[in-house]
Amino acid sequence: MAISVTLETLPAKRTPFQNFWRTFRKNKMGVIGLVFLVLIILVAIFAPWIAPYDPYSSVGISAKDVYQPPSPEHPLGTDDAGKDELSLFVYGSRVSLTVGFFASFIAIAIGGSVGISAGYFGGRTETILMRFNDIMLVIPDLALMVVIIALTKPSLWNIILVIGLLGWTFTSRIVRSQTLAVKSKKYVLRARAIGAGSWHIVNNHILPLVLPLLVVNAVLVISISILNESALSFLGLGDPTLISWGQMLNYAFARGAMSSGAWWALVVPGFGIVWVVLALTLLGQGLEQVFNPRLETHHLTARKKTSFPEPAVPSGRPQLSPPPLLTVRNLSIEYKISENSAARAVDNVSLTLRKGEMLGLVGESGCGKTTLMLGLLRLLPAAGSIVGGSIDFDGHDLISLSDAEMMDVRWKGISIIFQGAMNALNPVRTVGDQVAEAIKQHDSNISGDAMASQVAELLDLVGIAPERKDDFPHQYSGGMRQRAMIAMALACDPQIVIADEPTTALDVMIQAQILELLSSLRERLGLSIILVTHDLGVVAEMCDSVLVMYGGVLAEYASVDQVYNSPQHPYTRELLKAFPNLANPEKKLSSIPGYPPRLDNLPAGCRFAPRCTLAIERCELELPEIKEISEKHYVGCHLLDVS
Amino acid sequence: MTETILEVISLKKTFTADKPSLIFGGKERLVHAIDGIDFTLARGEVLALVGESGCGKSTLALTLMGLEKPSGGRILFDGKEVTTFNNAGLKEYRKRIQMIFQDPYESLNPTQSIEEIVTEPLLVHGLGRNKEERRRLAIRALEDSGLKPAEVYLERFPHQLSGGQRQRVVIAGALVLEPRLLLADEPVSMLDVSIRAEIINLLAELRQSRQISVIFITHDLGTVGYFADRIAVMYLGRIVEIGPTHEILEFPGHPYTKALLSVIPVPNPRLRRKRIILKGETPNPIDIPSGCRFHPRCPVAVEACRVTDPTFVNVSKNHLVACLSVSPA
Repeated sequence: MAISVTLETLPAKRTPFQNFWRTFRKNKMGVIGLVFLVLIILVAIFAPWIAPYDPYSSVGISAKDVYQPPSPEHPLGTDDAGKDELSLFVYGSRVSLTVGFFASFIAIAIGGSVGISAGYFGGRTETILMRFNDIMLVIPDLALMVVIIALTKPSLWNIILVIGLLGWTFTSRIVRSQTLAVKSKKYVLRARAIGAGSWHIVNNHILPLVLPLLVVNAVLVISISILNESALSFLGLGDPTLISWGQMLNYAFARGAMSSGAWWALVVPGFGIVWVVLALTLLGQGLEQVFNPRLETHHLTARKKTSFPEPAVPSGRPQLSPPPLLTVRNLSIEYKISENSAARAVDNVSLTLRKGEMLGLVGESGCGKTTLMLGLLRLLPAAGSIVGGSIDFDGHDLISLSDAEMMDVRWKGISIIFQGAMNALNPVRTVGDQVAEAIKQHDSNISGDAMASQVAELLDLVGIAPERKDDFPHQYSGGMRQRAMIAMALACDPQIVIADEPTTALDVMIQAQILELLSSLRERLGLSIILVTHDLGVVAEMCDSVLVMYGGVLAEYASVDQVYNSPQHPYTRELLKAFPNLANPEKKLSSIPGYPPRLDNLPAGCRFAPRCTLAIERCELELPEIKEISEKHYVGCHLLDVS
Repeated sequence: MTETILEVISLKKTFTADKPSLIFGGKERLVHAIDGIDFTLARGEVLALVGESGCGKSTLALTLMGLEKPSGGRILFDGKEVTTFNNAGLKEYRKRIQMIFQDPYESLNPTQSIEEIVTEPLLVHGLGRNKEERRRLAIRALEDSGLKPAEVYLERFPHQLSGGQRQRVVIAGALVLEPRLLLADEPVSMLDVSIRAEIINLLAELRQSRQISVIFITHDLGTVGYFADRIAVMYLGRIVEIGPTHEILEFPGHPYTKALLSVIPVPNPRLRRKRIILKGETPNPIDIPSGCRFHPRCPVAVEACRVTDPTFVNVSKNHLVACLSVSPA
């Protein structure tokens, strides 16, 4: 369970375009690019009205007009034929943009079709298409274009065709890899299972997810096409009857603009090219930001200095002997959502952990379990912060430690096995190497021999044959990788290990093996373990005590026996009823209607009230206080006062 | 006698792991994903297929769906041979048999609205005269799947729904074609415990109200006890034990079934029992062990198990076990 501040899109109805615009306008550079592009397009459309002279006619031009510097009459000077540079620039934009748009349309259409066909059909189709693609990619585009244009008539449409037909290779490769990614999605398999054919699947499932990529890519291909057209025209291969920026450069260069000192004849068309390419690049970047959600800036922003309200410690906290290893009092953690609102992910949670104790932390997804654990280690993401309470570990107040001191506590004092961590091993390094790295993090002076024996010892401890230390993660099964993660967590001899859903996604038998391992480690090393899980059965089998969380608050906290055999909180009771019990398989499973509250929209009263069948009026108004109803059995529920 | 809807006869599916190289030679190696499976399914019956990853249960599902071609054996649906269907026949067949996938977060296209998702199967099969009729059918399927009132959901997108709601949408997308057989591949393993019960109860209801047969694929024996009529336990591409649910749960015959049952956590700390934890993991289906395929991990294996591949024996009328240590009733 990731940090569960899910900020869904608002239900208010917006057209896709409005949604697009809302995200796009946040990217200032993209907006600037768009404005630049629109300006130059307007210039091209309204050329006859904007240009002071008609560059296609040479009426009224005499020899003295050649290479005139800028003057009120010709604001950007004149060219080698005495024509007005400003007018040439304005008309030139028409050709350059036409070539850019049409050529890139051809390139994108071909690249898109080739990429999707190769990615979707795979096999021989893919081999043939992609090998052809590779050959096209190695041939230098410009050289080939020069040859083709030189052999054909240099007309505008020939140029467009040549640029378009040679410019798709780059697009098809990107599209193919995106298609492959989409094709492996389960919903494509689902569509096949429905009986849908290839045409339907490509149109309905592949294309919508490839389209954004095509749009972003099109923008880049347009600018490449414009550059290619300029280059061809500059080399004298453009249509001599048309004016384009490349053609302007060609003439200026060929007819002595440099030697005449007529810099304007080169700068004006150059400026046009730079303008369009820059506009398209900025626009492309802006579009990518919208379409590629991974690049989108996170909703949560970093929070600055935290101020601590004095923790209100109620009397009657657990008095245990010997003193507990870890005592958490009234811990509260918030995530900043916007400038002035925060979501309280953990509210007023207290717990204790003795040496050798195994505590089960139970609750549905999104109830704050992972956040609480990250808070203990002060590993909260930037937007999260501890806003109240205290954490006492082995005599140290973890909240007041400096960052450097906290580094020392992590791994040497408390280590954590993250959820899904077995998939987080580095695939290109051996497992032994990665375990060694964990040891080195905290004991950098260790000798090579000592390290080797320590790695072997750790692997042996978690049930991996030490000779497999030189294997890579992909040679391990899921269960073995999880064992390796446990070895890494044990690398610095911690007193507490936090295991966040260590067996989720593992098969029952492997799950049993891992739990057995944790149990034996606890006995052999005297470890204290916090087991975070939504599986009540696992907790019943393994743990000494259970803390049930709901909506960021403690619902019930007691010994395993008390929680299972005399549960007091309605939520605990419902959870127990929802759990399949083979000891009594005839009973029908019950579920808890509704869903846990969103952390940015918590109910005013008891967090469970909206789903609680026993809720009374008071439950909706005030959050119940946590009471110790019998020895070390804590419950937060108003109904206890009623009965 | 109840009507048989599906009959699977010595079904096999192998994949090629290594092909002999033209230059270097070498042996072709085959993955025996399914290695001879037989079972029948009656109308309205729920059969649970239980086994660890790598036992071939997902390959079996894809083969039954006609998404993978079997390498041997037969699949009879309503008496008709599925393996010989042409494309049109397969399309018609897929209207009758629908699949529910494990991960409701992955099996819905994020760019489609719920209405598009649920009406898509109708479009594919050319059902429903117009948009209104398809919408009406979608609403009925959504309501039958427990999303009420359905109108509220039609215009939403998958990311706006919770995991349980998404799985209901997947189920609605399958129901809209009024299938006769649902193949549910681990439909609840990705969901929270509190929601699992909802989905299982929903499937149980559908089977009651619509007489749909269900094949429920899972690695967790614990969730099926409430729901399945029969359980088939799979190991390395074969069924090792099959029988009525209560018999399997109370008198498991195969040592593998016994081990699987013993590790199911019991939510009562006063009932902590001796667990049989098997060593290692399911072996690679390329090199299937000789004799009984379970013998290397079996806690009660004897010498004979290395040599003899056990065949099914009846321990009661409908309860079959493939183990040398089990004697017929």
